[in-house]
Amino acid sequence: MIPPAIVELLHTGVSVNVGTRDADLMPECTRGWGIWVENDRQAVTLLLTESASAQTLANLRDNGLIAITCSRPTDHVTCQLKGTVTHIRPATPEDYDRQGQWRRAFLGELIAVGVPAEQADAIIMQPAVAVEMQVTGVFAQTPGPGAGERV
Amino acid sequence: MDRATLTLKDLWPCFEGIIPATIATCAKDGPPNISYVSQVHYVDPDHVAISFQFFNKTRSNIAEHPFACVMVLDPRAMQAYRLYLKYERSESSGPLFHAMSLQLQAIASHAGMSDVFRLRAADIYAVRRIERVEGFTSLPTPPQDERPPSLFIQPDLHALRVIGERLNRSACLGELLENALHCLDEFFGLHQTMLLLVDERRGTLQTIASRGYPENGIGSEVGFGEGLIGTVATAKLPLRLSGLDHTLRYARAVHDRAEAVSGPDAVCREIPLPGLSNASTQIAVPLLIRNRCLGVLVAETLEPLTLLIREEALMAIVAGHLAAGIEQSAHEGDDTVTVDTPVAAPLPVRSAISQRSFCFYHADDCIFVDGEYLIKNVPGRILWRVLKQHQEEQRVEFTNRELRMDSWLGLPEWKDNFETRLILLRKRLEQKCPDVRLVPRGRGRFALEISVKISLSEKPA
Repeated sequence: MIPPAIVELLHTGVSVNVGTRDADLMPECTRGWGIWVENDRQAVTLLLTESASAQTLANLRDNGLIAITCSRPTDHVTCQLKGTVTHIRPATPEDYDRQGQWRRAFLGELIAVGVPAEQADAIIMQPAVAVEMQVTGVFAQTPGPGAGERV
Repeated sequence: MDRATLTLKDLWPCFEGIIPATIATCAKDGPPNISYVSQVHYVDPDHVAISFQFFNKTRSNIAEHPFACVMVLDPRAMQAYRLYLKYERSESSGPLFHAMSLQLQAIASHAGMSDVFRLRAADIYAVRRIERVEGFTSLPTPPQDERPPSLFIQPDLHALRVIGERLNRSACLGELLENALHCLDEFFGLHQTMLLLVDERRGTLQTIASRGYPENGIGSEVGFGEGLIGTVATAKLPLRLSGLDHTLRYARAVHDRAEAVSGPDAVCREIPLPGLSNASTQIAVPLLIRNRCLGVLVAETLEPLTLLIREEALMAIVAGHLAAGIEQSAHEGDDTVTVDTPVAAPLPVRSAISQRSFCFYHADDCIFVDGEYLIKNVPGRILWRVLKQHQEEQRVEFTNRELRMDSWLGLPEWKDNFETRLILLRKRLEQKCPDVRLVPRGRGRFALEISVKISLSEKPA
């Protein structure tokens, strides 16, 4: 189960960085545009765009293995979630509502660390694909000693 | 931008560390990993370096399976790129490591975390492929002509910076002079160079350092206004002569003049100026400080069209550094400071000769060794004083200060160029009599090392 402190972190406009690999173990990274924790605290849903994450989605359809590192830009509090993707589907209006909440918080974070508002606003986040992930491991990733330890 | 030929250089804004990069790796048994990296550093067109600070999953994955995918962002338009990498090696010393380490230390000390943030290594990765992430931002990528070349500086500019740093790090005058000629050779391919310093009292220039000649010519002299070098010293302007006519070559001119004026006997007391007898081009630039000429830096080549305006400009900049360094050393006191990295003493020479006979000619302050001219004037007197004290009092260590106070040496009270004269003497000994050496013992102090029996004699005036 995802600890409450991590649930709280994941709902504060964190950046979402996604790592996958293909059948030949070649790693791939991309950015996700929205994340939220499901009520059972065993799963999260994140949104990806097909155009920027084609290889990532192909990898997930192939083997489902996923790592996501989420960091809050203003204080670098960071965690990594590892697990397996259970479902990949087009985003629904409900997903876009949740993405809207995350987006406001994330853009607020970016602007707070000096990213010009028009640049933050120009990031293409739709149309999106929703990726449902069963979380099997949660790791502290805030830079410094202790990074990498299981939470 | 032509996306088909995307190069690392096109990504220069991504390497400024404004938006953190991420790295994805994979363990051998399957699970992927993704984490942030502190620095992605441009190394060369095919390599980047990534800072390694902590032992973590990324490091252990790379050790098992050396492939990585890094996402970097151009902060001007939030445009993302993927770099597909293969780990090659780790560097934990050298310029790249030190540059990355310093950057990290500065950040760490800001945060009061100097002990925590420490660069263990710069991990070098080969770039296998670069991919622009499409559909990332709706902003256009800034056109190429907006890009300042500041990250990838001109090689000459970089070389001048390194030379400037090396010269300013030189611990003493001798090291400064050697470094300057060495750098001109190493960075700009100027293989034949010499440096002459002004002796204001005698109205001459004396060779104090040279590189790339069979005879080093240390101690050879050129009068003010004489030939290329003398003209440059007088005019205080650089000169570049191409397509030199044989009869105009200054080296021969100096030699011939000495012979014509004083007869063949005089020539043996003149050291020939080093020089290529068939040089096609020569450049001479003055060493100026407060508009005084301290000396002249000379380069020459056999190859036509290789010493051009670029080389003249580079030499002029190096000459400026040299002038400042030489002037500074003239104002330094005789404090016997132990220099951290003393000039490497020449290795003791196991000589086939078991004895050296030195003779001092009072008539013209000249020293001959085994019947061959060695040195004259003040450097000659310094050597004689040191040899005599060694013979009479078995002394081996001497300080600049005690010698400066010695009125017999005839040093001027102001600006005595003592260090310069010592360098000249040391180099003449290296060439003509390597078994007698003056070895620096830190600033303002030296030792006399002798590996043969010596005899001293004098010829009165």
